[in-house]
Amino acid sequence: MKVRLGLASLALMLASCGGSSLLLLPDEAGGHGAVAVLEANGKPVDAVVSQPDSRTKLGSSSPTTRPAGQLKQDEVALLGGMPPPPRNYVLYFVEGTTDLTPDSRPVFDEMKAEIARRPGVDVEVTGHTDTVGSADDNDALSQRRAQQILNLLASVGIDRSLMAAVGRGERELRVPTMDNVENPLNRRVEVLVR
Amino acid sequence: MVGRFLALVASVSLFASPAWAEIARVKSSVGVAAIERGAARLPAKPGLQLNPGDRLVTGKDGRISLSFIDNTRFSVGPNSRVAVNEFVYDRTRQQGRFLTQVDRGSLAIVSGHIAKSGRDAMKVRTPNSLLGVRGTRFIVEVSK
Repeated sequence: MKVRLGLASLALMLASCGGSSLLLLPDEAGGHGAVAVLEANGKPVDAVVSQPDSRTKLGSSSPTTRPAGQLKQDEVALLGGMPPPPRNYVLYFVEGTTDLTPDSRPVFDEMKAEIARRPGVDVEVTGHTDTVGSADDNDALSQRRAQQILNLLASVGIDRSLMAAVGRGERELRVPTMDNVENPLNRRVEVLVR
Repeated sequence: MVGRFLALVASVSLFASPAWAEIARVKSSVGVAAIERGAARLPAKPGLQLNPGDRLVTGKDGRISLSFIDNTRFSVGPNSRVAVNEFVYDRTRQQGRFLTQVDRGSLAIVSGHIAKSGRDAMKVRTPNSLLGVRGTRFIVEVSK
């Protein structure tokens, strides 16, 4: 039955087969990337579109690319509807503790406001440590730090179901050091607000 | 082409169990905008979590925007039908595979970690083409 449904929708899809096109744009940082055309009508193609601000009609073995010219109204609307890029916040801790440094308090407040502002928000809280102490202890400490921030956010009204906390121990040093080196920049929690 | 499509349909129905971890969240929607999951049709409300295999469907005044856990972002235009056929992501290594199918309408993409994690790790299929994503911001349109 499922296969028959699949065939039916395949037939529909082929019947309504439209032309496809690609509009390659500069990225938000001002650079630009590329899109490869790997197949056209089921046959392998070896083409790469890398000209920024360009339009490419797809479906032939040698797709042609031309300058995009002015964007159409529906394209502007489509780009305007893109969610904002995720924001990353970094909070620092007093050595061996889960206490935020005084400098990190305003960062916390700003982060809280950003979380409240974003519709459909999700928040990834990742704890880190410096290299003082054993790797196992640091895994546990980094997890406590992440949980501490998650709890703080929950205490100011952020729904727990929007947040996840994970500890990364001393695996991702912000400042590379030898083992057993105290470093305030490595004792941190990073919060990605998406 | 037919064989591949059927294989895809089969794999999607095989794995259409509710045990999936979140892969994306709806950030906004307007007009007629839904997520189709198996036989279910869910309103695309902000905060709704997506599973692999989900289809994004909009009416003539509809729009949906969403962000994936690898930081890829989508903006789906009106009269569109877009399926997330495959999404596999390892958060720790920031690697994965991502296949999106645009059956009709328009989709703007800003790619994320998966596209950077390997050559053509992120692909987009249209009715007549298969694209490998190597760079960040573009629009795919499938006209009627």
